This record gives sequence, structure tokens and C-alpha cells, in this order.
Amino acid sequence: MSPLWRDEVAVYLAPRKLALLRRARGLRPSVEAATEIAVTVGASGDLAPVLARLSDVLAEKTWHGAAARVVVADHPWVRYGIVPWPKTRLDEEGRLTHARLVLGDAWGETVADWSVTLADTPPGQACVACAMPASLRGGIEDALAPARLSLVSLQPRLIVAFNAWRERLPADDAWFVSVDDGSLSAVHLSGGAWDRVHMARLPADWSVELERLKAFGRLTRAAGEPARMFVDAPAWMRRGVSAGEGIEWLEAGEGDGAQTDDLALLQRMHA
Amino acid sequence: MRKLPRAVRLDLVAPVHRAPVAGATLLAAGIAAALALGLAFEQKVEERGRLDAELGARVAPRHGPPTPESLALSAESAAIERQLAVPWTRLLAELESASHDSGGRVSLLQIEPDPAKRQVRITAEVRAMNDALVYLRRLQRSPVLRHPMLESHERRKDDPDHPVRVRVSAEWRT
Repeated sequence: MSPLWRDEVAVYLAPRKLALLRRARGLRPSVEAATEIAVTVGASGDLAPVLARLSDVLAEKTWHGAAARVVVADHPWVRYGIVPWPKTRLDEEGRLTHARLVLGDAWGETVADWSVTLADTPPGQACVACAMPASLRGGIEDALAPARLSLVSLQPRLIVAFNAWRERLPADDAWFVSVDDGSLSAVHLSGGAWDRVHMARLPADWSVELERLKAFGRLTRAAGEPARMFVDAPAWMRRGVSAGEGIEWLEAGEGDGAQTDDLALLQRMHA
Repeated sequence: MRKLPRAVRLDLVAPVHRAPVAGATLLAAGIAAALALGLAFEQKVEERGRLDAELGARVAPRHGPPTPESLALSAESAAIERQLAVPWTRLLAELESASHDSGGRVSLLQIEPDPAKRQVRITAEVRAMNDALVYLRRLQRSPVLRHPMLESHERRKDDPDHPVRVRVSAEWRT
């Protein structure tokens, strides 16, 4: 491993699963190791069992000594908001306070003590804000430290999935929907930027999830005008629905079929 | 070209609008290395210049700007060199020979060399002006002298024999 091209370990944290992928960098990047692990203990949404399982997995030397990029599931650990450009000039702290107010209006007291981060956005434009539990970053760093993994990036799933798929999306009047186990995050695009974000919990029955997804598409059509809906969903969900039902599935090219969706996401994150 | 949605640059650990520490460190190291390399190059250029100067001094010594002392010394040396360049032996032998040819009718009084002009001025006395002209023609045939000319002649009335004093100038040949 070259010190200039340090290996990276990408980690996906979800309430009921973990995915890890080690990637050697350099002129010819390659995947050195990949695994996906179910988390069966603890209440869904509880961070502690996931981090405990992560610590167990990281005991293997396969994952030691690298830079770590962590992606966390949107539900239940992330909340989004669209923060309009303020009418008065604000400094960095003022912008964060403004974003916290917007997020508080949308999500209530839940996010009152969460950490808030703003997307890097050109001046004069609405900005994507994201809140995560304040203890999340510290817990992750504590789990990574024994394996000599330094946390260099912490992003929510919706951001990573959107950036990975954005070249397949239109810039105007379209929905990008990211579906994970038990949750859905949807972004409406206008003028090449996000102008609405919705999040919803979904039941375990996939057919109900699908119907809800379609219903979501119908409900979000403004004034009867259809908006295209691009969906990044697990393969098992895509197999049950043919194209032309108002949903355009985002599917990777051939050769990615052997990977799970979460590992594919981690790999696309590097591309 | 199709317009794409803008990427959303949001990261809770690595704010994307700031340069990563490693990148900044690498940049600083690069600048430091470039400066060190530049200084080393400048030192090498200076050293080469110094060595060139030493080599030049050994091959062809260079003189500094002239000083009043060095100019005076140089002038004195040139004067001495000119004095030493006067062919006294040949000149005196030729004049002695010319006097002998004149049959004792010419008396040499003075010989004044001018080394700077390579000229000799001869002062002599003769009994008659014709003797002076014969003596002049003899000098004109001399292989040692060139362009002998009668500069002046004067009859000495203060002398009881009333001799004619003549002055002849000529250049000497090298």
C-alpha cells in the first residue's frame, strides 16, 4: 500500500445490515475485499448494536489501516431539508442556525440536538441541509479507531446515491427515489438542483412498498402534470415490476449483478 | 449537451469546500521542495561562476582598473624603454665617420636624441657654409639616418674666427 495512495474502506451502516468494501487505490484501483453482514440483535434504529457488530467485523486484519468512508442509511439516522438562501447576509454560524430552524420546522424536536451540515452551494441558491444524531460520528470513530481506520468521509445514503446516479437523471421536473429496507427518500429536481425532499417509512411487505411508491409518484405530480420518477431500489423489488408503470428503475450495467445493492452503491461512490 | 443535475457536495467529516489537510500539507511540501531546489540551483550557479572566474584568472590574468601609481610607473617604464631603444653605438659611429669624411672641417658641438620622435638633433660649427652642405649631403647618404635636414645656420660674430653654427635634424633607422 503506497502512502500516497492509501487504501480505502467504504462502510455502509443500516439498522439491520452492514456492508464493507476495501479498495486499493493507485493507477489501477481494485476491490480487495467486500462483505455484507446482517445485524439481527437490538431494536431497529438503535445505533449501538450496529456499531458493536461493526467493531466485531473490523477485528479482521482485512480491514485494518486505511482511510474510511462511511455511508449511513437515511432512515432512521438522517433528516433532510431545503434551506432557502437568506435575505440577509449570514456568516457560517448564522447559516447553520437558519438550517436548524428549517429542519426543526419539518422534523420537530427530534433534530433539536442533532448535528447539522450544509451542502456546498453557489451563493443565491437554496441549500440542502442534513441532520444526523450528534453521537453518530463519535460512535463511528470509536468503532474505527482500533482497526487504525481514519474517518475521512461521512455521508448519508441519499446524497451518495444521488451523486452516483445523477448522470442518468434529467435536470428538471423529475423525482429521484432511493429505496432501502423499510424506508424511502425522494428528491424533486428543478433547474438541476433539489427543491423538495420527502422521506417515508415503508412496511416490510414489498408489494405494499411498491404500491406506496406508485401512490407517492401520483401524489407528487403537481397540477396533474406527470413527473418522471427514477428509482434506485433493491434488485428484488425491481424484479417484481415491469417498466412503464410510471417508474424508471436505475440499474447498473452488466457485470454488477453479482454484488448486492449496498456493495454496488459503495463501489459507485468511488467511481 | 444534456444538462445534468448538480452534484450535492455534502459531507459531515470532510467539508468539500475546504482543501484537505493532506492536500495542503502536500502542497506546502511541494513548495518547500521547489524553494530548496531553487536555492540549491542558485548556489550551484554561483559556485560555477566562481570556478569560471578562478579558471579565467589562471589562464589569462586580468588587470584591474589603472591607478595613478600604475600609470606613472607605466610611463616611466615606457620612457626607459625608449631610452634603451636609442641606437647610440651605431649613431655615434656614423657621426664620427661623417666628421672624418669631412676632413676635420666640421666640429660637432652637441648631439640631442629625442627617443619619443626617434629623432636626433646635431649642432656643429664649420668654417664655411659650403662645408656644412657637404656634411649634410654625407649624412643624407648614411644608412643609419633618414631625412637629414638643415634646420638653421648662423654665423657667430662673437667668435674671432666667425664660424658658422648649423643645426641638422634627422631620424634614425631601426
